[in-house]
Amino acid sequence: MTWKPRDPQEVLPPRLRGVAITLISAFALLPVLFMVLMSLTPDNEVAAGTLWPSRFAFSNYANMWHTVSLGPGLGNSLIAAVTAAVIATALAVGAAYCLTRFTFPGRRIFLTSLVMVQSLPGTLLILPLFMVFSSIGSYLGLTVVGTRGGLIITYLTFALPLATWVMVTYLRKIPESLEEAGLVDGLTRFGTLWRITVPLSWPGMTVALVFSFLLGWNDVLFASILTQPGTRTVGVQLQILGLAAEGGAIPLYGQLLGASVVSAVPVVLLYLFFQRYLVGGLTSGGVKG
Amino acid sequence: MGKTTAVATTRPQPPESAPRIPGAAARPPRRERRPLWLMLPAGSLLVLVILVPFMLALWMSFLELDQYTLRQWIQAPLVGLANYAEALNTSGLLHSIWASTAFSVLTTLIAAPLGILAALTVNGRFRGRGAVRSIYLVPYVLPSFVTGTLWRIVLQPAGAVNHLLGDLGLGGDKQWLIGGQSFWTLVGVDVWASWAFIYLMALSGLQTISRELYEAAALDGTGWWQRIRYVVLPQIKGPLSLGLLLATLHHFNNFTLPFVLFGMPAPDAVNLLPMNIYQTSFQSFRFGLGAAMSVVTLIIMTIPAVAYLRSSRLDASPQEVEA
Repeated sequence: MTWKPRDPQEVLPPRLRGVAITLISAFALLPVLFMVLMSLTPDNEVAAGTLWPSRFAFSNYANMWHTVSLGPGLGNSLIAAVTAAVIATALAVGAAYCLTRFTFPGRRIFLTSLVMVQSLPGTLLILPLFMVFSSIGSYLGLTVVGTRGGLIITYLTFALPLATWVMVTYLRKIPESLEEAGLVDGLTRFGTLWRITVPLSWPGMTVALVFSFLLGWNDVLFASILTQPGTRTVGVQLQILGLAAEGGAIPLYGQLLGASVVSAVPVVLLYLFFQRYLVGGLTSGGVKG
Repeated sequence: MGKTTAVATTRPQPPESAPRIPGAAARPPRRERRPLWLMLPAGSLLVLVILVPFMLALWMSFLELDQYTLRQWIQAPLVGLANYAEALNTSGLLHSIWASTAFSVLTTLIAAPLGILAALTVNGRFRGRGAVRSIYLVPYVLPSFVTGTLWRIVLQPAGAVNHLLGDLGLGGDKQWLIGGQSFWTLVGVDVWASWAFIYLMALSGLQTISRELYEAAALDGTGWWQRIRYVVLPQIKGPLSLGLLLATLHHFNNFTLPFVLFGMPAPDAVNLLPMNIYQTSFQSFRFGLGAAMSVVTLIIMTIPAVAYLRSSRLDASPQEVEA
């Protein structure tokens, strides 16, 4: 009953811990492994609910590019998510610098709303954006709905507050004495930002970039409304194809899962690579993919 | 947006409130000019893509807007509170509020013990801990549209889940994706996809507990359950309750998972708020009504957030949130 651990941070008894790790890992990983297995299974066998393929259908990974039009989908997702992330991060550095180094009227409100807007429902923002975008067509004769530009603007609604918040929490940790040294040496304020703060804050910028990219990559809500067949992101492609299989089309589930694996792998790798920032990011700014 | 979560704390930040005048007297005033213009691009863009749309959404909720009036929305007729009245009476909004609340609270409650247990398993040092931590994160970091696609396929009437249940003699003819069962399907899939958020928050709490406290607890000869109950849980209360709040809000906003899992129109049991608003706005083209429903959603979401802020101001220790 009273078991004394050698490592005091170990709260669970070793046997219980072993069992728990095994069960939780199986719970987390088995469905994912099954997805990979089924992505190598002939389409009709996946639809028939087979648990182990009669033969491996590596052809899924060749055919799906045509079936799902995966290439353009991945390309569209990449362009929209990367552009929004780069714009957001670049602007965030300047804003975060001012927010952490100076006091000015409205600063507190700005910081508070940065956090608040991150839990605004997407449906609340997509409605007016869609209204403005579609009326630009009739008032100014410009097409926005269906273009990548329109999608990128909507991605900034979540990328910009997130990137700014990540940078605020990062720049707070950079000691100001370094900048003061620069000022004493005759640099302007902007010069210290450019020559001293920016080079020091690249880890923070990377995190802001990666996390705002992931939000864009994972979006389906905005893209399902603001894209047309030529500009559809991969998330929307998969959603439409999944539905089509039930509308009477031949269920190409093996290929669909192959496409899912391909669109998930870069994201999973990015997350696992930046894993140790994830905890910090969650508690300071908040991210979910 | 549903994919973002945020720290909902606005606890005053002591280091910030003191004006910073680094080395003030040492430099000539010329160099003190502050490049506040650096705020401008981000600030004005935030106003343009968030504040203005937010105001417009409020305005839209008082307009009669459909696919005909949308393009000339400036001339659209004002209808006062008619959209709100319709939302509450005929649009199924109350059902959606109930379904969304039940879904988000249940999902969080089921995920919480799992997340806490998982965090406890990787708190101590052992060989392969890094690998276990990575494995735990995999379902969480899959894009929601991939999670939805996967489960939609395996939960088909002739799919792998029913096949497996049939082989085990548990009946293999369940309809997972339609009718009342769809609600529990969504809860189950979302628990699978999101429990690691609670795990991460609990883990960040565990890492702030001092070694001395663990050692003291170990010396006292308490059993592991008492150690969890009386040492660990009280210590991680701060990050954990923040995690529970954010998880609940995130489930409440989750659109992608039910959208990909069930398609549109959704079964009644999973006609959650975002689904209902999307359907009303972009398939029935009742944009004004959709805006009114969104505003109601926002009001509901602020209730737990405000309650949390109230309670965390009263009893939170300052370090609690800023991990």
